[in-house]
Amino acid sequence: MADISRRTIIKATGAVGATMLPFASASDEVSAQPRQEQSHVPGPSAAPADTGGNPQQSTYLFFNAEEAAFIEAAVARLIPKDEDWGGAMEAGVPNYIDKQLAGAWGAGERLYRSGPWQPGTPSQGYQLPFTPAELYRTALHAINQQLAATPFVQMPPDRQDGYLKGLEAGGKDLGGVPSDVFFAHLWENTIEGFFSDPVYGGNRNMVSWRMIGFPGAYASYYDLVDRHGIKLERAPMSLAEDVHGHIQMNPGIPATSP
Amino acid sequence: MISPRMRYVAAASALLIGLTLSSVASPQSPGGTHVADLKRGAVIAAQGTAAGAPGCAQCHAFNGAADGTGAFPRIAGQSSDYLAAQLRDFASNVRANAVMSPIAKALAPDDVADVAAYYAALDPPFLPLSKPDPALVKAGEQLAKVGSEARGIQACDNCHGPGGAGEPPAIPYLAGQYAPYIAFEVRMWQRGYRKNSPDMMADVAKLLNDQEIAALAAYYQQVRGAAEIAASR
Amino acid sequence: MAQRLKPVDAVTIGVGLTGSLAAHELTQAGLKVVGLERGAARFTVPDFQSPAIHDELRFSIRKGMMQDNTKVAVTFRNNSSETALPIRRWASFLPGQGLGGSFVHWNGQSFRAQVADFIYRTHLIERYGKKFLDACGPELTVQDWGVAYDELEPHYDRFEYLIGVSGKAGNIKGAIQPGGNPFEAPRSREYPNPPMKETYFGAIFRKAVDDLGYHPYPQPSSNLSRPYINPLGLKLNACVFCGFCERYACEHFAKGSPQTAILPVLLKNPNYELRTNCEVLRINLDSSGKKATGVTYVDGAGREFEQPAEVVFVTAFPLNNVRTLLLSGVGKPYDPNTGEGTVGRNYTYQTTGGPTVFMDASINVNPFMSSGAPGTMIDDFGGDNFDHSNLGFIGGQYVGSIMTGGRPIEFHPTPPGTPAWGLEWKRAVARHYNHAILVQQHGTSAPSRLNYLDLDPTYKDARGQPLLRMTFDFPENDVRMSQYIAHKVVEIGRAMGGKIVTRGGIKRPYTTTVYQSTHNCGGAVMGDDPKTSVVNRYQQCWDVPNVFSLGGSSFPQNITYNYSVTIGALTLWSLDAIKKQYLKSPGPMVQA
Repeated sequence: MADISRRTIIKATGAVGATMLPFASASDEVSAQPRQEQSHVPGPSAAPADTGGNPQQSTYLFFNAEEAAFIEAAVARLIPKDEDWGGAMEAGVPNYIDKQLAGAWGAGERLYRSGPWQPGTPSQGYQLPFTPAELYRTALHAINQQLAATPFVQMPPDRQDGYLKGLEAGGKDLGGVPSDVFFAHLWENTIEGFFSDPVYGGNRNMVSWRMIGFPGAYASYYDLVDRHGIKLERAPMSLAEDVHGHIQMNPGIPATSP
Repeated sequence: MISPRMRYVAAASALLIGLTLSSVASPQSPGGTHVADLKRGAVIAAQGTAAGAPGCAQCHAFNGAADGTGAFPRIAGQSSDYLAAQLRDFASNVRANAVMSPIAKALAPDDVADVAAYYAALDPPFLPLSKPDPALVKAGEQLAKVGSEARGIQACDNCHGPGGAGEPPAIPYLAGQYAPYIAFEVRMWQRGYRKNSPDMMADVAKLLNDQEIAALAAYYQQVRGAAEIAASR
Repeated sequence: MAQRLKPVDAVTIGVGLTGSLAAHELTQAGLKVVGLERGAARFTVPDFQSPAIHDELRFSIRKGMMQDNTKVAVTFRNNSSETALPIRRWASFLPGQGLGGSFVHWNGQSFRAQVADFIYRTHLIERYGKKFLDACGPELTVQDWGVAYDELEPHYDRFEYLIGVSGKAGNIKGAIQPGGNPFEAPRSREYPNPPMKETYFGAIFRKAVDDLGYHPYPQPSSNLSRPYINPLGLKLNACVFCGFCERYACEHFAKGSPQTAILPVLLKNPNYELRTNCEVLRINLDSSGKKATGVTYVDGAGREFEQPAEVVFVTAFPLNNVRTLLLSGVGKPYDPNTGEGTVGRNYTYQTTGGPTVFMDASINVNPFMSSGAPGTMIDDFGGDNFDHSNLGFIGGQYVGSIMTGGRPIEFHPTPPGTPAWGLEWKRAVARHYNHAILVQQHGTSAPSRLNYLDLDPTYKDARGQPLLRMTFDFPENDVRMSQYIAHKVVEIGRAMGGKIVTRGGIKRPYTTTVYQSTHNCGGAVMGDDPKTSVVNRYQQCWDVPNVFSLGGSSFPQNITYNYSVTIGALTLWSLDAIKKQYLKSPGPMVQA
């Protein structure tokens, strides 16, 4: 059966890791107009559909097993799943953070990296020598050492929340990384991993976009902007997808400039 | 001056489409909400209406895939909102078409909603068509995905969605649409017979030359989903 | 050793708004011009096409179109008693990079200044008295510009028609027009294009401010409301309200920019040569120090060149303009201790912020259906449009429901009291995302002798040159001003039907860690007096008459509005005078 659905499956790789399963059916034969279907209303079937595959299947390029365990448990508290929508784990946020840290951003892309180093005032922003990768590695090492007796993953959720709030409040030194600076990075990256385009390895199944009703990267609203209050029902669209499920770069079509 | 605009209300479910004409800026105005009836839409598609509208199936086929000539568009799986808007535009002659205008005039608003919902829910197979010229398809793909700086043309997919799959509710799919029909519509905009997108489609259409129209039409006609590609291996 | 190239008539340092506009004017007049652009070439097709351009992480969060902080940054401190430290990642302001400059990824908000703005000091003293002005802050250094609105009006008109601004005139030759901004400075004719379609959040605001007796008008927009052919024969398209405007380039040829409105003509002119990936290190001066001989620049491969030129145009964005002048020894650097010197003096910014209005769940705001300059606003609290006699501050802000999108990493509002993360936070995000409206306050930035730019003594860029150092905090005057207006805006939020309305208004100290605006101003200000200005009323350097510094760096203080259109008008005004006067008789155009 032919279809022009974008409910295609992008093979999960370490780098992309975005899987988009159809909501209602497991087969490839989905209605030709999936965007018409209500995507905004969650339901009992939403939980299995939203997970988009086993999150443990991500191949980590940066995190070691101990680091990954903390990150997974931590983001699961930062944005938990509930009966309506998956949370950070289901969205693949650990995979997103891992790929960011393993890549250019983690290595200090766009970061002014010369000293001398001084703590500075709050108005002066981040003044540590750590690249994001160094910051995470250093902080996670300190955390895992400090929690060696009762690792974070073994704590009940309430205690985990309490621990995270303690990091957030600052005052703890994590091998040279102030705990509030580490927490701020973790929270910011969790937000990014939850809400960014799935091409970056998070926001699996575009779960966050469906939760809030954000239509995604294809955005042409000239005919709709003056239909005030309309409820937009179409499923969100990732910049990564086309009708064939490929990212928009066709080796057969070189992009040409004048 | 901004012309008066009709305000629409779209309710929560895709199967529940209400059309409310209101002169007050009240986006949730109640009253007159019609629940689209697909079964009734199927009957209209098959048999037409008592008021004299012929059955859509005569040209568009009962499954919405039309025939292979390309004289009639594939409408299966098209956004119901878009289909209904076209029928209204045919009726008012904003979209002038000698065949569709009298048919659309014979349809009541409830008929429009039902038949649009019926066809929107369909997903029939694509007809086997002759293979197009690969060079033409490649040129069309370039315009569709990338555009042309020299010609001042942006990529069609910006608005028409990934691979031309459409951006419902307002922007129709082009993927799998018949090439002669695509070409015909571009010319209808160029020549002013189709007036329902003056600042967008008419404007873009006027930029396109004959080769570009042929290329885009050839490209979009052959765009298919991954399932069919996998099945054909 | 720098390779010396063949001389040209003029060189522009940077090819953004001012650089491309100046080059166009000069090449049309027959001059041979070289444009040196530090960044890369880029064009609507293929570089700005969607869906790739609609990547919030890449462009909004990672600042994909901005200067690379590994190569160049700015150091910052709130006041002279602190040590300035590098802004290691951009946040508060985002200097752009690449062909077309910031005019590629601006929002298209397109205002003129007010008549009084150009004679701000004179006007305030006339209206309120010098004692009042001094009481607002003894450190304030409010100045007149040296040019009058009436002189700029034809150039405003020309610039607006060049980029196709879409709006509704409020004042045509003194006659107030219904539907426009009644506080607007008088214009000679209507905008080239009608206003944009009104968004839902604009309509809700309009009704509320109407009921309160204010004067709503559609925001003037350089994201066009309809297809348009500009006077150069270049075609721009209608904006589709994609909601990815600021920090992004436009895929539809619908945003006024060098790429859409100037470059296709300029690049075909045989008098013009564009060199990209070429960073100017300094302007070269002769032994007298009063004449520029050209510039020295480095290309992408690191090779150094000397480009001799008769005239040098500094067109590199306000911060880079000032830095270039300082690195080159053009003019005397400002010393805040003695008050002497002018380069770096009167640095100002923009006073922004505003409430979030949380609406009922039945109101689908659809913020993602938006453009860069959408919505509806009021000028009742702008500039000096209201009586400040008993208020104890100068300046004002426009107020508008003008949110530019609903991109979720940046926008996921929750009401005060919501936990910062966790299940309740998530539920609040789901509840409020599509039912919250941001109202923007945006206004004047008063100049202070305490706020200035100079060269950092410690930190350097990748080429080994000192970074620009910024010393800035909000004057107390601006805090009072914004808090007064914030109070009024809460009332508007309630009238909009807001169930919960937060409160805007700025606080000291200014922080570089939160985005506010990229309207950095001043540092090379224009004026009548060489003791308090770097350039004269034609933006010509007093000290080196064959160097012109064009852009927001010329503003003695910042106005209520976004400044791009005023910069465009000033550029055309300067080039007009250069063509008529300077080229015929090079030398100082104004006797001090």
